[in-house]
Amino acid sequence: MTPLSDEIVALSDEYVLGLLGGTETLLIEEVITRDAELARRVGKLRDQMLPLDQSAQPQSLPAGFTEQIRKALPAQDHPVKPIPANLSTAPTRWRLGVLAASVIGLAIGIGAASLRPFPEPSVVAVLLDAQGVPQAVIDDYGNDTAFVRFVSDIKVPTDRTLQVWTLPSQEMGATSLGTLDDTAATRLRFTDLPTPNAQQLYEVTMEPLGGSPTGRPTGPIVGKGLAASQI
Amino acid sequence: MTEQDKATALRKALLDCAAGDNSGVTTILQCEGPQLLGVAYRILGRHDLAEEALQDAMLLVWRKAVQFDAAHGSARGWIYAILRNRCLNILRDGKRLSILSPADLAILQEHRQTVVPTENWELLAGPSRLRDCLKGLDDSSRQIILLAHVAGFSQSEIATRQDMPLGTIKSLIRRGLHALKECLT
Repeated sequence: MTPLSDEIVALSDEYVLGLLGGTETLLIEEVITRDAELARRVGKLRDQMLPLDQSAQPQSLPAGFTEQIRKALPAQDHPVKPIPANLSTAPTRWRLGVLAASVIGLAIGIGAASLRPFPEPSVVAVLLDAQGVPQAVIDDYGNDTAFVRFVSDIKVPTDRTLQVWTLPSQEMGATSLGTLDDTAATRLRFTDLPTPNAQQLYEVTMEPLGGSPTGRPTGPIVGKGLAASQI
Repeated sequence: MTEQDKATALRKALLDCAAGDNSGVTTILQCEGPQLLGVAYRILGRHDLAEEALQDAMLLVWRKAVQFDAAHGSARGWIYAILRNRCLNILRDGKRLSILSPADLAILQEHRQTVVPTENWELLAGPSRLRDCLKGLDDSSRQIILLAHVAGFSQSEIATRQDMPLGTIKSLIRRGLHALKECLT
């Protein structure tokens, strides 16, 4: 058990109760998917709380309801594809730690601001890949500093560079916050950007070595997401 | 159908869904449809929203069925969790609710206020471990846990409703959940 565990367990309990916000929910679900012990704890508490759901007054389904849903079901893309935990692509333990730390960082929030040794970010964005899996978390402090943490194993070919972008406004267009050669947590410094807004878009792209040649994103998107205000 | 049969049927239904057989959805709605709709209605307070939530939830069950692992908990608990999360998303989606008229919004808010009674909180019929353990909690913690789980209130909504600071609500929840889990174990 890591020192994070108590906090993560408490957050997962709050998740079962439905108390976490959208971003926290997304991240804790990722942690649960990757940690069988946590998944068991969540399943157990759910089952223990289930009598409360059984206490609701049943409501008759409207005529034709089941048929309507059956017709709306898409074809299954991946019939029966279990996810073995020992896949070589399974995230390493420290990635789980970073992911766990990210969700704790988000959840601690304003209530415990005074306990944190560093200033609160103005906004936090969780960047998802096309499948909706979190790849990175960006804390933007609004003073031309941001912090990026990767929560997924991303292979960066030696002839490629990761580049972090944001879209402060349609007029300014996508603006670079900095480049990285690997996925170590990194503090980014930039100049003259307006204070970030809630709902501002952030993304990370894979660019040619040294960064985008055009000053705009050109490579494939590693992850993108909208900021959630922390203030 | 006994509870045991139902549990087996639901587990099989999820396997069917994962394999692309939509009879799994029929089984789930046969076993649990009215109860699931009842939970959605209790949180959302409108029949149209409750039906929409159940419909969305069944699509999610269909899509996520392949991830269900019986070693981590019951199929029923997993299905209800998906429905409850979907209801909470609808409730917390400002844009989604902005299409409602102010009168409808007022009705919705009023409905939620009455879901968890302040007095006579005992929603659970008959004796059960959960009922005993909830009874053992202090009044504030119990009320807050019920407001969250049963009526879908967020922590800040609870803080406003109970006229307490958010930090106090957060620690009451932590303390209450800790005590509840100890008792349930």
